[in-house]
Amino acid sequence: MIKKTHLYEFHRKNAKMEPFAGFEMPMWYKNITPEHMAVRNGAGIFDITHMGRALIIGKDAEKFLNYVTTNDVAKLTPLSAQYSTFCNENGGIKDDFVLSRLEQEKFLAVYNAANRDKDYDWLVKNAANFNVQVEDVSDNIAMFAVQGPKAEKTLQKISTENLSMIQRFKCGWTKLADIKTFLSRTGYTGEDGFEVFVWDTPLEKPGNAVTVWNNVLKAGEEFGIPPCGLGARDTLRLEAGMCLYGNDIDETTTPLEAGLGFVVKLEKEAFIGKDALQKQKTEGVKRKRVGIRMSEAGIPRQHHEVFKGGQKIGTVTSGTYSPLLKIGIAMAYVAAEHATVGDKVEVRIREKMTEGEIVKFPFYDPTKCGYARKTV
Amino acid sequence: MVKVNGYDVPEGLYYSKDYEWAKVEGDKVRVGITDYAQKQLREIVYVEIPSAGTSVKQNEPYGTVESVKSVSDLVAPISGTVEQVNEEVSSKPELLNQDPYNKGWLLLIKPSNMDELKNLMNAQQSVEWHKSMLKEC
Repeated sequence: MIKKTHLYEFHRKNAKMEPFAGFEMPMWYKNITPEHMAVRNGAGIFDITHMGRALIIGKDAEKFLNYVTTNDVAKLTPLSAQYSTFCNENGGIKDDFVLSRLEQEKFLAVYNAANRDKDYDWLVKNAANFNVQVEDVSDNIAMFAVQGPKAEKTLQKISTENLSMIQRFKCGWTKLADIKTFLSRTGYTGEDGFEVFVWDTPLEKPGNAVTVWNNVLKAGEEFGIPPCGLGARDTLRLEAGMCLYGNDIDETTTPLEAGLGFVVKLEKEAFIGKDALQKQKTEGVKRKRVGIRMSEAGIPRQHHEVFKGGQKIGTVTSGTYSPLLKIGIAMAYVAAEHATVGDKVEVRIREKMTEGEIVKFPFYDPTKCGYARKTV
Repeated sequence: MVKVNGYDVPEGLYYSKDYEWAKVEGDKVRVGITDYAQKQLREIVYVEIPSAGTSVKQNEPYGTVESVKSVSDLVAPISGTVEQVNEEVSSKPELLNQDPYNKGWLLLIKPSNMDELKNLMNAQQSVEWHKSMLKEC
């Protein structure tokens, strides 16, 4: 049966709905572009309750997580978050996710909706030899993302805590509109913003989730905050250069090929996939994920082939029209020797060889857009 | 102008089930996408159409229209040779959203066989077709 989030009634009345990872989710309310631009220029709120969430609790929680994930969990202090991956024995990515340390022996992993069952099973299977408990809390916590340069100002209006104290990749507890929430200053848009967890709010009892959602929309009115759908979520993450599991990464790609080497800590003790990743690092990767910004009209899409001087060098894994840059952009895997920023390439868009250039992520100027922007 | 559930279906045009309209102008036929099509596509950001002199064939794709997230074929409502193309839609694809029956036209075709118009719907039939299609979804 298709699942519905706490905000289903709101979405159904206001959005174009489509099934996504077992849920009926909003794709867009007004249109992708205005929702996208609201997040770049002000703020937007997304219902991301469909995502998978698990608590990992126990004496061995840190040790266990250091074994199943590639990043260094020992470096994670309470009320901090880190981006990470689960890998298989071959170093292939089982999923990418954000891990938050709630307490010394209590962690929250937030992973992809499509991998809910796979990840939970993987965690449980590997937890057998550790003194640790894995609890799937996906359907007991509502989850929203409030993103954009005005996200903090929006949430501050209804928060009991001073949100400027929570820095990027830090977390904290607060009350929003008098309801207990956990905030993490993370997101999937490239912008500053928070992911909001409405605690102890099962799908069957949507009241608290609806109250928080409505109050965020009201608080953000002065900044023009719209509800945003999964359409804008995808275009925003692509402009930011962030991977979409299933498109840009999967069990056949490694974090090193995906340009996610910063979440692989080979100096750690044994972890799943370490040997394979160590070997790949020593030998060097054969292909790399790169950004391609088109130089002429034409929109690159998944599976389009990438060429250089008439020779095929790779394949597009995600592509879109960029609402911000008003040109086609893509992520592609290309042969490592051709993954050079500044190089001209062609993408075969249907019959036409269309010119583009390999660029760094994010696609936008990080001094003008995104969380590190110099001006607000 | 007839509206079906908010979708314009102007009289005097022929319609295909591939969401295109065809307008007879002397011995030429002007074609474009319907209001229903542009509203389904939303935010049209890219249009690819053939250049003048190209042959097109009824019921076969001749180009592409893309929104932010989707790619759709443009399917010819009539066979013939492209006499003129609307150059403006390449730089302003939003014209297809703003004015699909006028400024958003795509091709002016010199048909090879005007009898092919019989395979299309007239406005009245198209209204009925829009209604039945909307009832289904």
